[in-house]
Amino acid sequence: MHIVKQLMAIPGVIAAGEYAYRGDRFSYQGALTDEFARMASILCRANTLSVNMQSEIFDSFAENCGCRPVQGWIVRGDKVTVCAVGNYFSFIENRDELLNDVMTIMRAKVGDVQDDLLANLYARLGGDTKEALY
Amino acid sequence: MDLQKLMDLPGTLAAFTYTDRGELQAHMLREGTELTPQVLDLLTRSCVANQAIAAMEARGWEALTGQSGFQPLKGFSVVGLEWSVVVNGNAGVVVKNRDANYEATFNALQSA
Repeated sequence: MHIVKQLMAIPGVIAAGEYAYRGDRFSYQGALTDEFARMASILCRANTLSVNMQSEIFDSFAENCGCRPVQGWIVRGDKVTVCAVGNYFSFIENRDELLNDVMTIMRAKVGDVQDDLLANLYARLGGDTKEALY
Repeated sequence: MDLQKLMDLPGTLAAFTYTDRGELQAHMLREGTELTPQVLDLLTRSCVANQAIAAMEARGWEALTGQSGFQPLKGFSVVGLEWSVVVNGNAGVVVKNRDANYEATFNALQSA
């Protein structure tokens, strides 16, 4: 089953979606409007870029310290939590055990995010910038 | 802040507190971990930055969308390849991904 569909089948998951690393497209299911989903995708991409930049700094400080490449991040709100793994995101209610279940499913379904994440994130629309980056 | 209590959480490799400016204040490391106080000191600075960014996003999201439930922020976590750092306020823990219980960790940091 597709990861977004699987997440949306869990009670307490408000919305889930996928954003392109390049930021040019997104898809989602759940209680978001198209515009909110677009904003969520931009927010997720920005945060993913930010934590990956930080992990590169950690790595230059302490090589192979176990943080790189970053797999995702979680923002725990008062009643709502936003999780992102790879290029998938979900908005969930703060219910008992829901966060652990959602993270387990997202990690298992997305798999280990590989080292080419930053190249994808920095890629210009329609171009391959890996060569320019490294 | 009882760091020993945080160290008792499943999979915890380190527990720490830091100032509002991100300077490492106190820490405990699990024996055998490759993490060092120097890495934690860098980590705590990113914790402050990430929480500030997340708080700004939560505030902006609520204002723009009219949705509620994001504020006040109850924590932030970065999930690395082998471990995750989970923080709230001025305390945090590093937990092994395979043993991580994010919910219990956020709750422990909330009540600590």
